[in-house]
Amino acid sequence: MQLRKSKPLAARRRMIGTAAFLAAAAMVVSGCSSSSSSSSAAPTAAPLKIGISLSLTGDFADPGTAAKKGYELWAADVNKRGGVLGRQVQLKIVNDASSPDQVVTNYTNLITQDKVDLVFGPFSSLLTIPASRVALRYNYSFIEPAGGGPKVFLEKNPNLFFVQPAPVVKGGDVFADYILSLPAAQRPKTAAYAKLDDPFAAPIADNVKARFEAAGIKTVYDQVYPSETADMTPIMSALAAKHPDVVVSGTQSVDAFAQVKAMIQLKFNPKWLFMSNGANSPTEFPSKVGANNTAGVFSSGDWYPASPAAGSADFIAKYIAMYGGDQYGIDSTSAEAYSAGALVEQVAKATGKVDNATIIKTLHSGVWPTLVGDLSWDAAGQPQGEYLLIQWQGGKLVTVFPAAKAAATPVAPKPNWGG
Amino acid sequence: MHSLIQAIILGALTGGVYALMASGQTLIFGIMKVINLAQGAFVILASYLTFSLFQMTGIDPFVLILITTPVMFVLGAATQWFLLRPLRQDDMAELSLLVTFAVALGLEGLLAIIYKTTYRTIQPGYENHSWTIRGYQVNEVRFYAFFLSLAMLAALYLLLQKTKFGRAVRATVQNPMSAQLLGVNSKMVASFGFGLGVATAAAAGSVFGLISPFNPGSHYDLISRLLTIVVLGGLGSIGGSVIAALIMGVGSALVSALASPIWSDFTFFIVLLLVLLLRPRGLFGARVRGSL
Repeated sequence: MQLRKSKPLAARRRMIGTAAFLAAAAMVVSGCSSSSSSSSAAPTAAPLKIGISLSLTGDFADPGTAAKKGYELWAADVNKRGGVLGRQVQLKIVNDASSPDQVVTNYTNLITQDKVDLVFGPFSSLLTIPASRVALRYNYSFIEPAGGGPKVFLEKNPNLFFVQPAPVVKGGDVFADYILSLPAAQRPKTAAYAKLDDPFAAPIADNVKARFEAAGIKTVYDQVYPSETADMTPIMSALAAKHPDVVVSGTQSVDAFAQVKAMIQLKFNPKWLFMSNGANSPTEFPSKVGANNTAGVFSSGDWYPASPAAGSADFIAKYIAMYGGDQYGIDSTSAEAYSAGALVEQVAKATGKVDNATIIKTLHSGVWPTLVGDLSWDAAGQPQGEYLLIQWQGGKLVTVFPAAKAAATPVAPKPNWGG
Repeated sequence: MHSLIQAIILGALTGGVYALMASGQTLIFGIMKVINLAQGAFVILASYLTFSLFQMTGIDPFVLILITTPVMFVLGAATQWFLLRPLRQDDMAELSLLVTFAVALGLEGLLAIIYKTTYRTIQPGYENHSWTIRGYQVNEVRFYAFFLSLAMLAALYLLLQKTKFGRAVRATVQNPMSAQLLGVNSKMVASFGFGLGVATAAAAGSVFGLISPFNPGSHYDLISRLLTIVVLGGLGSIGGSVIAALIMGVGSALVSALASPIWSDFTFFIVLLLVLLLRPRGLFGARVRGSL
């Protein structure tokens, strides 16, 4: 029923899409011809309008606000440098209240009513998917810092570029690399997997498990728990009873804290503990589990205060100058949003143009250094790099793998809780 | 065997905390035939209250119960007086569901504005301490919480059985009209009873905030568990709700540890379904309609 209904609609959309494409192509052609003449007259150039829908209220209000800070910091920063090809950046940020319906309305309005030059992505895969369809329909490039779930890339949207080093589900691969880089005698023999039933958590642990099992590390516990699990102690008690050498936790945030608390209460301390998310939050993790319980916990990330990326210190200084606080209060989402803008700046610098067709074409080739790593993408916008392995050492997150980017060597076995 | 006994210990201790929340829920139903859908939200409100007071003063969360309980009592009594009392008696059962659900949503929204949606936990520093007894881990906070629940329930029992107010409450439960004819101010009793039910949420909230992370939306999971517990125990029976809470606590911990965590919360709903189908009045449902 629904299928039959959707066909003509899809056909209609395609027609609109084609029309929009032709219109956009015409604009691009005319834009190209005029930009070569106008780029010399930089100071009087029209502003570069960038439209963004963000979740400033609702479920994603906190990360949405963090993204806003990153975007606005980049805009202020680039305008101080004279703008993009002499055009001052003007951000038009509208609120979608974390609603996938509102986000479609917002991007349609930004493109058709406000006639912005470019759009950047919203927060979360949930909103990125519908928003990216709007961008594709009007042939806008879609640089997005916060939609890295598998479904985003199933869209096979050639205009989309995810501004993180790898798809989210590959967040644990760098931990598997590290463990498998150890001499066979030092590797763990048994592994346990405790996973949140969430597309951003469980698949990360599953990818690690596949690598571990192929390398002969035996799985002694593997369970998925639902997001409403308030009490993690029964799960961790069953896991601890199997005495695994390494625990790989596919976590989001609050469940990571609950897992740690349960392990402490059960006096269970594995030799290695990797948590996909939650443990990579520089302030929340120590505040939720106690600073003295962080030592030795592994996680992965793209940007964090101790990031080895070029320009990270500069980013931190500018962030603090604009918003106050300290480096540990900076959410990685802010760095990702900042990097989205920085990519446009780099494309403009490399090509002398800043239009959607050029951005799409240019970003599909080459490697682009950003705060969140050196980025390159496949045809569906999946980044081709890897996250960095980080570990809590001396109360701070430090990069420990790969060796080329590491600031310290990994500590194993994990120190005792509280030590 | 070790895992089995450890799971039973963990489940029983958690069950104690749920017993406290559920006793308030069932008390309110017993007195007014109102299913209070806001009980979970009141618990979360109390958790936030404890969280803030602990951050400001550093007073131990267990001691703070002495402050939060009267506050929640007043809030509960006021909710009844201003929002439920004006409802027409005939529509009470249906409308009170809507009103209490609205209260829950209102509290959730208010808390989200004040505290945002970030998860919080109350951390006095000893929350992760455990005693090792013959190889089994017994978490201190849960242990204290368990006995606090028992103490609160005993106090509730004494209040209802041994005081004049308790007698008035029980009389109102059995027959509001006759109670009124005999000089019981049943409007006051209803209001105080509701307050009392909400006050148990205060103690439960402090403890809940110690053992699990919470955010304004946490009340949905709580209320669905609470409803299962009170239905299993028999609506209106305090003793029943305590035993039901322990059964559910141990049951879900066992399923989680021995089968799969995915089925753990589901056990609540299977139990709810079975009880409703096979024994709608619950395990200890009142034989005389309305006795506590």
